[in-house]
Amino acid sequence: MDIQIQNLTMTYPNGKQALRGMTLELGAPSFVGLLGPNGAGKSTLLKLLSAALLPTSGSITIDGIPLSQAEHRLRSRLGYLPQDFGLFDELTAAQFLDYMAALKQLRDPKAAVKNALSAVNLERQARTRIRALSGGQRQRVGIAQALLGDPPLLILDEPTVGLDPEERIHFRNLFSQAAQDRLVLLSTHIIEDVQAVCDRLVVLDQGRILFSGSPAQLIRLAQGHVGVFWEQETAQDRNGIPGHGETKGPELHITARVNTSQGIRCRAVAEQLPPFAQEEEPSLEDAYLYLLSREVTG
Amino acid sequence: MNSNWLRLFLLEWKRLLHSRPAQLAILVSAASPLAGLFLWRSTSADTMLSRYLADPAIAAGTAGGIAFGLLTILELDRPSSSRAGLLTDSVVPPHTMALVRLPALLLAAALITGLTMLLWFPILRSLIGPVFPCTDYILAFLIFMGLALPLGILAAASAYQAAARTDLALAAFLAFAFLSLTVWADSWQLCWLNPCVWALSDDFTNFRIFRSVAYMRLTWLGALAGAWTLSCCCIRRYQKGCFASFALNVRRIRRPALALLLLLGAGAAYRLQPMVDHGNPDQTVMSFFELPFLDGIVCTGRTAKVVPDTSAGTVTGTAAYQFRRSAAAEPQELAGPDPQTGQQLPAAQHTQTPQPQTAAFGINPGYTVFSVQANGKDVPFSVSSYQEFNEAMLTAELPADPEIELTIEYGGFPQENRNLSTMQGNMEISAEYLCLEHGAMAPRLMNVLPDEGNYPADIQITLPSSMTLIPFGPETPERIARHDDGTSTWEYQYHGTGGICYAGDYIRQDIQAGGISIEFYYGRRHQAVMEAAGAPQAVKAAVDYCTSHYGSLSFGSGKALKLIQSRVLGGGYAADGASLLDEADFTAANLSDAGKGTVPGEVMIHELVHQWWGLANMFAPSDGTDPWSAEGLTVYTTYRIVQEQYGSAYAQEHYVRRWQQAVDDYYQDFYVRFPEYLEMLPPEKQTEITNRSSYVRQYCEMPLKIWKAEKLVGGEAAMDQILKQLFQRELDPAYPYLTYEDFLDACGLREEDLDLDSIISL
Repeated sequence: MDIQIQNLTMTYPNGKQALRGMTLELGAPSFVGLLGPNGAGKSTLLKLLSAALLPTSGSITIDGIPLSQAEHRLRSRLGYLPQDFGLFDELTAAQFLDYMAALKQLRDPKAAVKNALSAVNLERQARTRIRALSGGQRQRVGIAQALLGDPPLLILDEPTVGLDPEERIHFRNLFSQAAQDRLVLLSTHIIEDVQAVCDRLVVLDQGRILFSGSPAQLIRLAQGHVGVFWEQETAQDRNGIPGHGETKGPELHITARVNTSQGIRCRAVAEQLPPFAQEEEPSLEDAYLYLLSREVTG
Repeated sequence: MNSNWLRLFLLEWKRLLHSRPAQLAILVSAASPLAGLFLWRSTSADTMLSRYLADPAIAAGTAGGIAFGLLTILELDRPSSSRAGLLTDSVVPPHTMALVRLPALLLAAALITGLTMLLWFPILRSLIGPVFPCTDYILAFLIFMGLALPLGILAAASAYQAAARTDLALAAFLAFAFLSLTVWADSWQLCWLNPCVWALSDDFTNFRIFRSVAYMRLTWLGALAGAWTLSCCCIRRYQKGCFASFALNVRRIRRPALALLLLLGAGAAYRLQPMVDHGNPDQTVMSFFELPFLDGIVCTGRTAKVVPDTSAGTVTGTAAYQFRRSAAAEPQELAGPDPQTGQQLPAAQHTQTPQPQTAAFGINPGYTVFSVQANGKDVPFSVSSYQEFNEAMLTAELPADPEIELTIEYGGFPQENRNLSTMQGNMEISAEYLCLEHGAMAPRLMNVLPDEGNYPADIQITLPSSMTLIPFGPETPERIARHDDGTSTWEYQYHGTGGICYAGDYIRQDIQAGGISIEFYYGRRHQAVMEAAGAPQAVKAAVDYCTSHYGSLSFGSGKALKLIQSRVLGGGYAADGASLLDEADFTAANLSDAGKGTVPGEVMIHELVHQWWGLANMFAPSDGTDPWSAEGLTVYTTYRIVQEQYGSAYAQEHYVRRWQQAVDDYYQDFYVRFPEYLEMLPPEKQTEITNRSSYVRQYCEMPLKIWKAEKLVGGEAAMDQILKQLFQRELDPAYPYLTYEDFLDACGLREEDLDLDSIISL
């Protein structure tokens, strides 16, 4: 499945401009991680891609067909997990998935439900009413319904919210496997979720694409812009560096402060590292923060 | 319908049954017949089927309609409030879900209708007793209850889909239901939730009223289906508002087109309803009876061949009228009401030579006139759109020939009088019962005088062979042919322009009483009740007593009398040689009413005495607070007959002492002593207390006063003489009622003489 997004703009009736002339191409197989701070436009983009919203301008085409004409085709090939979804509490997990399988018109709904329950480790809770499930289990039911029928396009908006670390790793791997033969779009602000598994990252901020490429490319972008320093040794030198309330000198964004036996070790990104900082190999998180800090500075 | 849709629909239906609001709605609907039995009477007649079938079924329809309406709003809001709609909408468009949810709700409604029918079957059957009819039971629940639930669902779904807000939808739906229960309650076409059903017959069929309610409900079903389809165009898409979504949705033209089609269809069905005529609501206007007669022409006779279709409820007929011109005929154009406007036409135009004239007939407004021929040739005719007293005016041109035979072919579904639209059912035509009156039987000649023969008529009616034809009058019908299709043709001679006949599955009992040969007809279904009440003995006792004490009935020939039990009418009436007994007076419940008699036979006597006090001698309609009514003299006469039959001690114990006790209790009643507190009660409570008071005053206080008058005038013989004179008095045609003043004057008493304070001293 190929998706082409051209000059996509979305302005809500209240005047908020969520997307500003976005252009993007996505093609299967691929595991695309959408990164961006709150309000960057990630959820709006996913809603537009799932035909839950109409763009103000611009176009989306699915396999070359405008989305307005391919809604049915899209819905029949889409597995979607929105951010704040709900479930029918009166049903059991299996009944709910059976219901969704019927909506999706799956040919073998029983097998599809069984596979989905197995994929999200909910076989034991299959006959439990949804109202009796924990928050994490409900989230897993949501993921299961998205996986039903192995749809060629999987759109997951913050799928690992509410899951414990072990489950997050499980699902990260699950999505990664799924992306081997299809297009998976995963929106998150948890860098770890995308770091290991996504072959492509799209970083959004204020409705624009800041970066689109592989994680390695993003990391390369931050090369030479990440450094560490001891806070107590360099406190005097750092006086006057923006990011700490001052406006003169190079802007420094501290991304981590680690208490050690020798003092506080700071990690920071900056367009130009100050002399007291020792250059470090950037991580994906460093690169992401560098990208955002560059945008703020710019 | 593909299998996936069916599967989805079944899953949605199962999901619905799991929801708590649905379970509550089902419980409320199933239990709601209880309200019809104990809290809320929608019918006003006292037949067993009215009380124990129509009332529970209508209550179930009303409560169920509201419950399912509320459930619909909650269920349509569920995906949004639970946010599960985010998932379902990503798979199928919201319109598809609307198409799945609606049938699921409708199936749940159908299920609960069936369940309620099964649940209440043994209970209502035991309450109704031997006159319980399975067909009526099923039809009542299907039409009164079953069709109300989809209306509630459609109305609520339309409101929710248009508003997309629970609070607004709830307010709109409840306002719509409230309209039906209040402002529209007396409009048979508008009261979508609580149909205008005033009575169901125990002894005969009820197809007419079932048809009427079904028609109203189906009209609303079309309208609300249209509203629902239109509201589908408002289903929110792409997080847009009502108007933006509407603009997007109407691009698929089939939705608004279908909505428009349904709404137009419902509008046409409303406008062109076949059940009730469009007669002048002003019942004081009698322009059809004021038509001047044509000059120089008389009617020498007529025939009518009438064939009711008892399965379709329709009538077809051919009526022929013979006219003869006098030598010096001065034809005159019809003067009278304009066929279209009802206004008077210009005065007559006189001519020198015979010219065509226009004969006018009254015909049931539901009928179509297929052809009018004079002496074998088609003549121009028209049927007025103006209607009066359940008749439209058919005018046909009479040629200038000296002898004319005018043949009219007509037929259709008879309509009822609009002024009685809340009391429909009288035009019942079925294989068990029918009543054809005047213009519903054959066109009624209105503006041609008779010759000396007084409109001799030969009437032939073809009916199912199981039915007995009973002309309402002294005529004796004869079965002249039996047909292979299971019908028989009856014939009788009649004199007059109109005529009434009844037919049904009747049992006839011949009784000799008071020198009168009485043909007593009652419905076969009522046989057990009538036998338990000792009907023939009661008829004989009452007629013997009344004829010997008061004289023969004024509306009888004195030699023969037909007593015909009619389908529930809201009262009886009488004519030459025939008297009608409303079946509501002979229900099992009525026959056990201690106020009318202690055993069923005494109630039979009571009802028959009404032939003398009530029909033969009329009483002005009571306003409820007036104790003087037909009941006072009837109850008193019943007491006298019972005294004659069972002895003085029995009559004193079961009548006079009971009256006294009831009157004593009445005057001790708090609200009687302090009526100002009555006004502070809710209206329903006020009505209940007022009705109870009215009953005591009419059925106990007045008989006691007459009993006191009997003592004051010198005993039973003196009172009998007074009542005989009252019964045979000369009537004032302008006010043909027997008043309390008439009674007091005849007794030579003043009103205060009959105060009951001094009753003990008597």
